[in-house]
Amino acid sequence: MGRAASWDSIARPCRLIHGIIVVIGIICTVIPVVSAHAVESGKLIEKDGQYVFVESMDPATRLLLERAYEKGIISQEERDKAIKESETRAYLMQPSFKLWYDRGFNFSMNDNAFLLKIRGRLQLRETTRWRNDAWRNPGDAKNFPELLGVFGDYRANRSDDFASQFNLRRARLLFMGHLLSPDFKYFLQLGFETAENAQTPGSANLLDYYFLSTHFPLFNVQLGQYKVFFNRSQINNTASMQFAERALVMDAFTANGLNRRDIGLTIMNDDEIYPVNYYLGIFNGAGPLFNRYGTYNSEEATAGCPGGQTGGNPFPSPAGCPANTRNLNANFRDEIDKLMYAGRLQWNIMGRPGYGEGDLAYSEMPQMAVGGGLAYNPGINTSTDNAFIGIDLANLNFRRQLATFGNARQLGWGVVNYTTYAFDGVFKYRGFSLQGEWYFKNIERTFKGSPCLQFNAAGACTAVTPQLMGNATGWYVQSGYYLIPRKLEVAARYAYWDPDTNAAGDLVKQVDASLNWFPFGTYDYQLMLTYTNLAMGTGGYAIGRSAPLPTQPPGAVNPSGTVPLDARGGTLIENALRVQLQIFF
Amino acid sequence: MFRHLVSSSGLLLCILMGGVIAVGCARLPYTTTVVHEDRRVIVSLQRDPDAVPFTHPVQLQADDLTAVLSGFSFREKQRLPLRWFAEEMPPKKIFRSDEMQAVVPLLVEGLGKAAPDERVYFQVLAPGMNPAAERDTTAGWIAVREPYLHLVLEHYHAQFPVRKSEQWDLRYPATPPLPKTYMLYFEPGRFWETEPEGGRQAVQLREFLKAVIPASPK
Repeated sequence: MGRAASWDSIARPCRLIHGIIVVIGIICTVIPVVSAHAVESGKLIEKDGQYVFVESMDPATRLLLERAYEKGIISQEERDKAIKESETRAYLMQPSFKLWYDRGFNFSMNDNAFLLKIRGRLQLRETTRWRNDAWRNPGDAKNFPELLGVFGDYRANRSDDFASQFNLRRARLLFMGHLLSPDFKYFLQLGFETAENAQTPGSANLLDYYFLSTHFPLFNVQLGQYKVFFNRSQINNTASMQFAERALVMDAFTANGLNRRDIGLTIMNDDEIYPVNYYLGIFNGAGPLFNRYGTYNSEEATAGCPGGQTGGNPFPSPAGCPANTRNLNANFRDEIDKLMYAGRLQWNIMGRPGYGEGDLAYSEMPQMAVGGGLAYNPGINTSTDNAFIGIDLANLNFRRQLATFGNARQLGWGVVNYTTYAFDGVFKYRGFSLQGEWYFKNIERTFKGSPCLQFNAAGACTAVTPQLMGNATGWYVQSGYYLIPRKLEVAARYAYWDPDTNAAGDLVKQVDASLNWFPFGTYDYQLMLTYTNLAMGTGGYAIGRSAPLPTQPPGAVNPSGTVPLDARGGTLIENALRVQLQIFF
Repeated sequence: MFRHLVSSSGLLLCILMGGVIAVGCARLPYTTTVVHEDRRVIVSLQRDPDAVPFTHPVQLQADDLTAVLSGFSFREKQRLPLRWFAEEMPPKKIFRSDEMQAVVPLLVEGLGKAAPDERVYFQVLAPGMNPAAERDTTAGWIAVREPYLHLVLEHYHAQFPVRKSEQWDLRYPATPPLPKTYMLYFEPGRFWETEPEGGRQAVQLREFLKAVIPASPK
């Protein structure tokens, strides 16, 4: 009865005529040949955005066969055989691949041995901000300075008080899928966006490119370039945030201290199967698309003797070091035996809260997890030791990464080893979410003592740094609630960051509030209105930006000028309103 | 001034969040009991805090419920601008016969166990377009408020992710699609009435069962 009802809705009169012609052919040719059991089969196909179940056999043909059987024209065996062969033929005639749209354009082989999914993501943002006069003078020369020129001279980050600009904050193209089997996955992400403060238009960047083996759920292996599994806020995708932008403190405490991404390998278990998850990774520790071969020092042919320009043996040169005979600036690759080690442990106490911010899924049961990460990244050269300190020749890519992620206070202190800790917790339940993290970064200087900044003509040190750089710490807590489940969320966040524990007046405090609309109940499409109040202290000593400024050779003028960039202190205040539309298709 | 603004805004946000949390309550139905779960069918009891109480538990025969469900068909309700221009599509049956055989006995069991404030939620499953990542899902719920039987269809062969995060990008949450609105039809139409309590259309179950010979499961 149910089958007859479905025929009524599917078989249209126009198809019936076609069906009659087909069935006559089948009855005359195929039926007497093979005997087999009939099967009810079909498949789902995507048609005009809807999934429809389609019988493997033409319904009209099947109807006529059934009628022929009922009237005794053909036997049951003949009917079953005809149906089976018809289905076999339909199976053999179908293409060996399928194409459909579902959260991306999908291309798959029928045996699912290969899948390519292509997605695009756009975050269009309008930022209106109001800054206080401290942004004009002194501006920010310590946390997020600009590094310009061949040598990366410091410039303070300064601006007018009011700004209103559109920006393609994120413009991404993603290619993902699997090869050979669904357990061998790949993921490639290209970024085309330009940073908000960039001086030149952005170009295409390879952000992620990795392979992931999930053959053994206890030992999943991911290798390539990707975000290090270290702290919650960075593991989370920027498409599933509660605010238009991360808090500054989140970016400052990445595993490698330079960037959230790195090149390496991670072994982990499947966090949807096991309640306790581990992530153990080994990386270059040099950031994306880069490795340690790019780090260098200035050293003479004699080991331990600082290099310099031809005939210009730099100060202080240890006794016994020969005079330079040729240009030995930045031509010695060192720290290339170092790697970064990062680990994370997470306990899903209740459910599986995952890494997406907010409880968009409207969890029916409480979801709770706590976790922690530890990363050790040694041998980051923030400046050479050849007395060009502060206007150093250390690799500009390292230095710019430090400045981009707000760690520019660490520039100029020679080779440093980072040991970073992170602890986090998250709770979600019926639209409510609460999460927080605490960070600490131990910054170990391998060049001990206070760096000498100025020398007299005899080569004697006349000025050293007034204080040593300390460590860094910070935390944030954020919460959200869906006023309309899966559609409308209100969220708030408070973040605290002490970029130098030895400095005073350098704290960074941030308050955010956001109203988020998800029109289709997924993170893919969202409209955010985020208000941010930021207070950034300009206190503390930063090499090359605070007095005394380094000079070399004796009597020379620091390229950054004679007046320290922080001559006038104060707190940088910014109030910003960000309206952001995300389309992830 | 600005420091004051920071502290004031922080306090304001705390008060706002505290207030929202304090008054917050479950406004979406939530699962109370899982009646049955396998790769083919999931049937559970859901509590809907906003619903008018039903007359559960109720004992029905599988044949009776099969007969009722066989009478349903549906169209997807288009959004308003599309509704004006959308081509009129013929209504479709909700379940195939094999799906009916799989889900009906469990729905009967669910109706027999449900409390007055619970409804019986079902998911009929099949491998999705990408079987490793998606599950084809037809979902909805039924309930009885004598003498009416209510059926709401929320998903029709929708592609549900099988995991909570994407298979490839492990950081990105994979959320199931939102329920859609479907317009239901019932044949014979004389049993498709508007229930006085609640104003929702429902099947006049008792009259239907008296009038219609139950479908044979064979």
